Amino acid sequence: MTDKRNDPTSLTGAYALNALSAEERAAVEAGLTESESLRHEVTELADTAVLLGRAVAPVTPPPALKANIMDMIASTPQLPPLQDDTTGETDATASVTEIAPPRPASPSAAAPTPPSASTTAPGSTPTPAERKAQARWFTKPAIALASVAAVLGLIIGGGVLVNTMGESQQNNQAADQLAAINAASDSQRAVSEIEGGGTATLVWSGELASAAMIVDGLPALPDDKVYELWFIGEETGARPAGTFTVSDDGRTLRVLDGEMHAGDAVGVTVEPRGGSETPTTEPIVAITSA
Amino acid sequence: MLKLVTRETDDRQDFESDAPVTQDQLLARVAQGDQAAFAALYDQIAPRVLGLVRRLLRDHAQSEEVTQEIFLEIWQTATRYDSTKGGASTWIMTMAHRRAVDRVRASQSSRDRDTKIGIRDYDAAYDNVAETVQTRVEHERVEKAMLRLTELQRQAVSLAYYGGYSHSEVATLLSVPIGTVKTRLRDGMIRLRDELGVAS
Repeated sequence: MTDKRNDPTSLTGAYALNALSAEERAAVEAGLTESESLRHEVTELADTAVLLGRAVAPVTPPPALKANIMDMIASTPQLPPLQDDTTGETDATASVTEIAPPRPASPSAAAPTPPSASTTAPGSTPTPAERKAQARWFTKPAIALASVAAVLGLIIGGGVLVNTMGESQQNNQAADQLAAINAASDSQRAVSEIEGGGTATLVWSGELASAAMIVDGLPALPDDKVYELWFIGEETGARPAGTFTVSDDGRTLRVLDGEMHAGDAVGVTVEPRGGSETPTTEPIVAITSA
Repeated sequence: MLKLVTRETDDRQDFESDAPVTQDQLLARVAQGDQAAFAALYDQIAPRVLGLVRRLLRDHAQSEEVTQEIFLEIWQTATRYDSTKGGASTWIMTMAHRRAVDRVRASQSSRDRDTKIGIRDYDAAYDNVAETVQTRVEHERVEKAMLRLTELQRQAVSLAYYGGYSHSEVATLLSVPIGTVKTRLRDGMIRLRDELGVAS
């Protein structure tokens, strides 16, 4: 800290308020590893800043925002937890870069990192309080970039935010209908694995008698085949509800044609191009709504 | 005849039945990939996130975009959230402010932010709050604590936090040296910390 302008101890307030340049922010974060009192102050001032944030009047978001976000996360993988050792947490630079490449998920990757106290060795490794302060305040630019990339990818691939991307009117309508279903007071959602890979997400509302299917990771079919959707009722049997194909990324949103009846299941089969009146193959996925 | 696969219900029904669940518990479930928990967490905290983001960005469409990015980041990084580091709400609101400021800076060239707008911005921080009893109480606490600051501290903190201005911009807006702003921001935040009883 020979550069007095970047002396972290004078910058804690501005740091907590996000009022620093990138260079100064880095200086503070580097300083956090060296000074317990600095960590302490930064943590407290950041908590204070949160109270300023909580003093702002809440704004109720439009239902479509939730629909978009739910649709996005349905196909966005979560980052694997940070390993519960001190690797990469001993200085700011390592901590920032470490998270850039998402590691392959291990079978236990879905589990949250347990509290560190019991596994943190004494001596050279930081105390839990130190780790807490460090882990808490290091920025994660790589994640921010990944988020933006994911959003863009989903905008293009999902057809949900298509109005900003100039896609077809039809996609727009589908997105609107999906948003309406999501916004219904009795909106429900179920996710199922598809035989042969991919996932199917069914969103439906009994009130609107309407359902939408979002598929992800479904293989493209030969030109003479299509995927066909079915409402399946105990009494009515399978009723055709429209066909779809998948885009290059295997991701499609399709609002089902026709009315959904209470208790209907929704299935998908592979049919000859143009669709069938009754299913001719076994379903690759079927989701019950009862 | 089509065979049916029973849909995976697991915990989802719990959330749909309005069982009281804390944000911390929800975030822990989100970390396990639970989308229903994410939806419930969103319902609880999205109005605060959007309120804060819009406070900084003003533009509603941009605010929704940024809110979307924030929730995507919550989803992606919930696996790395450590509850010993502070509550879910603190984690999310800190992230939200950071992202809102990032966007303010990124669109700085198109910002219409002269000195007058900047100063007004500080006053507007206290308009139309209190949609719920809780937010009213939280607002009034902060407002009261703010009154304990010197005017320069108060203006500097407000411009930085609610306006998304950097300390050098704050210095320009208030016509004081940048070193003075740094000091005022720190002194002001320490004063607020003490007034609000924040201790780690």
